[in-house]
Amino acid sequence: MRRSRTSLLALATTASLALTLGACSSGGSDDSAAGTAADPVDLTFYMDKAGWMDSFDAENKVSTKEGMQLDVVQTPGSTADAFDSFVKQSFRTDERPDLFTWSTGPKLQALVDQGMVAETTDIWARAEKEGLVPDGLIDNYTYNGKQYCVPLNVAYWVMYYNKHVFEDAGIKGAPTSWDDMMADADTVKDKGVVPFHQMNVFFEFVWFQALLASTDPDAYAGLGTGETKFTDPVVVDVAQQWLDMMHDGYFLDPGINTDPQTLLANGDEAMSYFGSFLTGQLNQIGAKSGTDYGVFPFPKIGPSVDKDQMILETGPLCVGEGAEHEDQALRYSEWWLGDDAQQTWADTRGDVSFNPHVKSGDAEMQALADRTAKGDFQVQQRYQEMVPWPVYTKSREVFGEFVTDAPDDPMDGLKQIQAEADKYWAEQG
Amino acid sequence: MTSTLERTVAPPAVRRRPAARRPYRWTARAFVFPAVALCVLLLYVPFVWTTFLSFTQYDGFGSPELVGLDKYAEMFADPAFVNSLLNTLFWVLGTLVLPVGGGLLVAVLVYGLSGSFWYRLPFLVPYAISGVAVGVIWTLVLQTHGALDQVFNLFGVDDPPRWLLDSPLNTLTMIVAAAWQGVGVNALLFTVGLQSIPKEPLEAARLDGAAGWKLFRTMTWPMLTPLTTVVVGLAIVGSLKQFDIIYAMTQGGPGRSSETLALTMYKETFINSDYGLGGAIAVFITVITVIASVIYIRRQLGAAKEM
Repeated sequence: MRRSRTSLLALATTASLALTLGACSSGGSDDSAAGTAADPVDLTFYMDKAGWMDSFDAENKVSTKEGMQLDVVQTPGSTADAFDSFVKQSFRTDERPDLFTWSTGPKLQALVDQGMVAETTDIWARAEKEGLVPDGLIDNYTYNGKQYCVPLNVAYWVMYYNKHVFEDAGIKGAPTSWDDMMADADTVKDKGVVPFHQMNVFFEFVWFQALLASTDPDAYAGLGTGETKFTDPVVVDVAQQWLDMMHDGYFLDPGINTDPQTLLANGDEAMSYFGSFLTGQLNQIGAKSGTDYGVFPFPKIGPSVDKDQMILETGPLCVGEGAEHEDQALRYSEWWLGDDAQQTWADTRGDVSFNPHVKSGDAEMQALADRTAKGDFQVQQRYQEMVPWPVYTKSREVFGEFVTDAPDDPMDGLKQIQAEADKYWAEQG
Repeated sequence: MTSTLERTVAPPAVRRRPAARRPYRWTARAFVFPAVALCVLLLYVPFVWTTFLSFTQYDGFGSPELVGLDKYAEMFADPAFVNSLLNTLFWVLGTLVLPVGGGLLVAVLVYGLSGSFWYRLPFLVPYAISGVAVGVIWTLVLQTHGALDQVFNLFGVDDPPRWLLDSPLNTLTMIVAAAWQGVGVNALLFTVGLQSIPKEPLEAARLDGAAGWKLFRTMTWPMLTPLTTVVVGLAIVGSLKQFDIIYAMTQGGPGRSSETLALTMYKETFINSDYGLGGAIAVFITVITVIASVIYIRRQLGAAKEM
């Protein structure tokens, strides 16, 4: 009896060890180098956008004709932080992804510095020659004079407004100047509707971004290079203007955690400054573009500013350097920029594409994208991707307190951010 | 005198175990091995790695660079860390008063009543909900214009407190939310403790005239000590690493006003990509958790022996 029990235990231990070793050694694949339509290459794709799965499934139906398809791996956690850690860890193993989503700006710079992403300079050269990408977009993907990754998507930061609220307040059409916008805000405020959306988590910085870029575009861009200080008079004045607007009741109460699309669609607020990804969220709750809501560019403020400022946010699609299917993944990246992939994207997401050949079903948003491509706006990077990461994280903290408590004087908070900026730029030499 | 006695007493003979039992020892070791291996792999190795990282500058890319005690110095100099430490202390004290004290109160008041299970059940149900879900539910209640504000409005209070926005009110509010979840299981544990107390001493005390609060203070409470040690010990450890409810309700904000040590560790590591500083905070949490647990358990066990 004892012997049989010992034998059973030995068997179980051996099986357990075999399973462990098997798990450690698995993951290799003998996929063929190039796929065919009948047997496409599976490209591992790490991403954290669970809501976009339908679009990637639709893209796979098209890309299989080219002999490749995405094998989507979603991260176990749902937060951006968990996804970042997941991708970083993968590069310490043999399981580095063929393709993955990431962020432009300092976070992509860090990957480039570590040699973790494949260069895409040739792909960008061909795409620009064929007019597949708008002018200026390449700047987000240029590091040390070379390009890395391609745009997965773009988002235009624009002002959404509830058309019913405007109509009820007797306002005809979207405002075209700063003074008009503030007059409309006063009108809806008098009717008991909160003029502007604002939140104290995730997007605490966006009003600072909009006000500074529209007041002094060069000063705004200078925050990303260290040439502008957060304590410069122009920045302090803009921060003070923002706080004064809070004191005057132009913004939503920061304690309200309801989704921005719900607040706008319900008319709990009149206007919401957001990335064009809000369109998909509005569509999901049944709001109709052109009927229930519209969009307009955030108007310029400074008297010497030539054009309205268009903040362009773009998320990259990156190829892991040394990934198992690196060549096919680069081929996929080039295909992704093309008309077929992008039309599928625009159709399934209801969003605009960066590719000027592709038209979205959302006429108002498409008009803004077309005007951006024509050069009607000065394109700027989003604050989150523009400033160094430590400066951004300190800004979130300080701006979060601004939005929550609306202090009388912004200087103390701005000094805290500048201290972080000074530390960062000193380290850069 | 004692040493003389010790020298005169022969040490007990060491009895060798019969050789026939040796295979059994190997079998026992083999049974224990998977658990030990898992502990080493999943607990000890990561802790050693985290401790190593706390002496480095590391952003998750490349190789960690040794910086000595710099990260610990940075940690203690950071006002956000000091604020986290204070919030964590609030959590420890609040957890002892509300979920543990409340659990004890529920258990004692209900014990012995007919149908006591049905009195305990409403307190126990929230324990089945995950911390994140509890956070989401309470956020709906506590957000501006939420359910609680509407109750205040009903009673003519138009400007109720900003439950989740103002510090330290937001931390205290979240402790109440955590207590809502934790009271039931503590009540259950104390009920088990009450059931395990022998009836005879209590009967004797009653015959001697003890009743009510006096009976509880002099008889029931001392005899509950072993169970109380476990409940309070678990509560201290749980509150020192409190994370999920806070992350779901405020993400440690506004700003960093409601962060606890666990949340600060998470933010420094995974948002600010400062693995060294995150590691230093993790080591700090571990050290104070172990110290608090050891001091508490030793004192309690010492007190139990004296009884």
